[in-house]
Order: sequence, then C-alpha cells, then structure tokens
Amino acid sequence: MESFRQAFELLFPPDRELLQIIGVTMRMSFVSTLVSCLIGLPLGALIGSKNFRGKSFLKKLIHTLMGLPPVVAGLIVYSLFTHYGPFGRLDMLFTVEIMSVAQVLLITPVVTGLSSSFIETSSKPVIETARGLGFSGFRTARLCINEGRASLLSVVLNAFGRSIAEVGAVSIVGGNIQWKTRVMTTAIMLETNKGKFSFALALGIILLMIAFAVNALASFIVRENADG
Amino acid sequence: MVEIKGLKKRYGERTVLDLDELSFSDGETVALAGANGSGKTTLLRILAGLIEKSEGTAKAPGSVLYLPQQSYAFRGDLVRNITITGAGKQTAVELLEKLGLSHLSGKKAKSLSGGELQRLSLCRVLAKKSELLLLDEPTSACDANGAALVIRAIRDYRDSCGCTVVMSTHSPMLAVNAADRLVVLENGKVEANGTPEDILSNPGIQWAKTFTAGWKI
Ligand SMILES: Nc1ncnc2c1ncn2[C@@H]1O[C@H](COP(=O)(O)OP(=O)(O)OP(=O)(O)O)[C@@H](O)[C@H]1O
Ligand SMILES: [Mg+2]
Repeated sequence: MESFRQAFELLFPPDRELLQIIGVTMRMSFVSTLVSCLIGLPLGALIGSKNFRGKSFLKKLIHTLMGLPPVVAGLIVYSLFTHYGPFGRLDMLFTVEIMSVAQVLLITPVVTGLSSSFIETSSKPVIETARGLGFSGFRTARLCINEGRASLLSVVLNAFGRSIAEVGAVSIVGGNIQWKTRVMTTAIMLETNKGKFSFALALGIILLMIAFAVNALASFIVRENADG
Repeated sequence: MVEIKGLKKRYGERTVLDLDELSFSDGETVALAGANGSGKTTLLRILAGLIEKSEGTAKAPGSVLYLPQQSYAFRGDLVRNITITGAGKQTAVELLEKLGLSHLSGKKAKSLSGGELQRLSLCRVLAKKSELLLLDEPTSACDANGAALVIRAIRDYRDSCGCTVVMSTHSPMLAVNAADRLVVLENGKVEANGTPEDILSNPGIQWAKTFTAGWKI
C-alpha cells in the first residue's frame, strides 16, 4: 500500500528525475526494438519461408541465442567497446546508444526466432492460397504480414517487453549514471540495494503501468486498421 | 494443353509420383481420382509451380490458377475475399450469388462453415481468368446442393474461357457430372484413364469397386 502511495506521489505532480529516467528508458527500448525488428523480421521471414542446407542448425543457434543471458550480452558488448577493445575508439561506453546496442544483441534472436516459426506455421496456408492465385512474391509477403499482424504485433511487443524489463546488460554497459544512463530497472536495483524496498516497488509499479500503456496503444493501432 | 512426360517426384527415397505419359487438351475437364496419398495433390502442385519436380517434364500454360485442398479465409468479409484478386465488386457479388453465398456476403469470411468457406475459395479463383484451372477436391466439404452449385460454376467458367480444368476428387458424382475424362492414380502411377462412366463400371479398378452396391465394410 505504501508503495502505491509513493508511486502516486512520484507521478502527481511528476518528479523531474523520474520523468528523465522514463525518457531514457523509452528511448532505449524503442530504438532497440525498432532496430531488432528491422533486422529480425525480414531474417525470420526468410528463414521461415525458405528451405536451405543448414537450416535446422541455424534454427538451433537462434534458439540458443534467444536464451542468451543478459549479463553475457552486456559483457560481450562491454569488451568490444571498452577503451582497448576493437570499437574503443568510438568512445560509446556508458551512453544510451551502447545500451541499445546491447539490447539489440539480446532481442534480435528473439524477433528472428519467433517470426520464423510464425511464418513457418501460420503463413503456410496464406502462401499456398496467394500463390495459387498467381500473386507475386512481394504481394504474397504483404498478405502474410497483413493476415498475421496480430501475431507479428505480439512478437514486437515481446521484444519491447524484454527490452524495457532488462537490467543485467544495461547496467554493465550503461553504468547506471544518474541523469544520463539510468533507466527504470537499474533505478529499481539501486533503490533495492539501498534498502528502500517500498520506493523500489513504487518504481516497479510505474514500470508496469508504462508497459501496459504501450501494449494497449499498440493493440489499439492494429485494431484500428483492422478493416480487413 | 498440358503435357507430362516421365514426371517423377521423390521425397527422400520414396517416389510419390511416377507418370510416364499424360496429357490434357485445351478446353478439357479432367477429374483426378485415387486413394489418399496416391499423388493427386502432388501432381496439381507441380503443375501450379508450387513445388519442384524431381525428374521429367510437365508443360503447362503460362496462366495457371490453383485452389488448394485446404481452404483459407482472408481477413474481412466475403466480398473482400474475392476482390482481393483484383476483381470488381460486381463480379464478386455475381460469383457469391452463383455459389449460393449471397445471404452471407457482409459476414466475416473467418466465420464461415467448412462447406461455405470452400465455395468462397472457389469464387476467389473463378474471379480470375486463366488457361489452366487446377482444383484440389473442390467439393470435399460440400453437401449435395453445394456440390451441384460448384459443378455448375466450374462448367460455366470453362465454357466462358475455354480453359483446361484439372480437379482431384473422391466423389464419383463430381467426376460423372463435371468431367470429360477421369484419371485414376494409384501409388503415384496412372491406374486408369478414360470416361468416368467406363471407369466407374469397370470392376477391375480398385477405386471404382468402392462405389458399387456390393462394397461393404
Ligand atoms: N513434403 C512432403 N514430404 C514427404 N512426403 C510427402 C510430402 N508431401 C506429400 N508427401 C507424400 O506424398 C504422397 C502423396 O501425397 P498427396 O498429397 O499428393 O496425396 P493425395 O492423393 O492428394 O491424397 P489425399 O486424397 O489424401 O489428398 C503421400 O503419401 C504423402 O505422404
Ligand atoms: Mg490431396
């Protein structure tokens, strides 16, 4: 109860630091979701719709990467971008951008894996019907997306959900710097470590509310264009 | 004109289709019969260009339409399911009328019953022109009246465009009423090839035997 009261107090009127943290969180999650989908959806469609040698190996690899522990992803990105690492020159460590990079590494396999199995199973009859009607490959692909948009949306939201809830990788590469790279999850960790459990829980409640709002908005957008 | 020579389809070690010579002439309606797994769908899908053959030739005209064995409903109402092919609304309405679906035209296609959906899927292919129409068991989910509507629609389509029609079926009713010729497949090979009447009255053909009065389970 105490946590709900604190969550309410943080939001009305909105706390300046909280707003900044929410801003960073959203920026990081949106960018990483967008980039992962731009890579993962076409890749998933390709893997799902084509038969080639090494396909089952590739799928096993992707499924393994889907379970990549976030701290490991964080460590990989950290060692690549550390001062002496191959990309050290870019000087990107402890920025929001590098947090998005780590997230992309984590989420892209998820988007690829989920969308490829979606194409493989539910798009089969669509492809068969569309090609039977003589539709081009491009037209068929567009139809598959349109027919399966509810499932595809859940792939995208799944990616977004992972990104916004993730803490291990972003704390390693982002450093949880106040007013700069602190996001909701790392803030919650910090407050928990300080022993301020109910305040941490208040932040958790707000995080859940944001996630709910994004989900509601996304399904509203998709439903709105659902004229068939 | 469809010309098949030495056509083979293999899955791994197994040859599921093995046709020496078979041809369908322009304007002809051919029924393909045979037990489950005898290769009907495989042959249609090769002619439609949906799967690769393993060996031989299968010459088919450029414009081919194929109705899959499994019907599919696109999002939206019945009319949209037909106009998605590029056909006009008027055409869609006429086709729905012809297949006895007018009273459902504003409904969502996903809500249709099995037999209704099958007839809608047929409307969709008939909305387009082609030189070769391939239908995979077009009446399998229909009742007798529904099947009669399907048969009439296929006939009218063929008469209006003079195309070749090849359809697989398990129904002697469809074969007799809609086809000029019946080809019976068995294990991927041609078991019989002739008029539906001749084949159905030939007790030497396993497939035909199952339709005689004496056949009991
Ligand atoms: N992708 C595939 N991989 C392996 N075997 C296959 C594949 N597709 C079809 N087959 C086999 O090929 C054979 C012929 O299948 P096909 O679908 O052509 O039969 P059908 O005559 O249409 O049967 P039905 O009356 O049940 O529709 C079947 O034994 C089937 O198991
Ligand atoms: Mg079949």
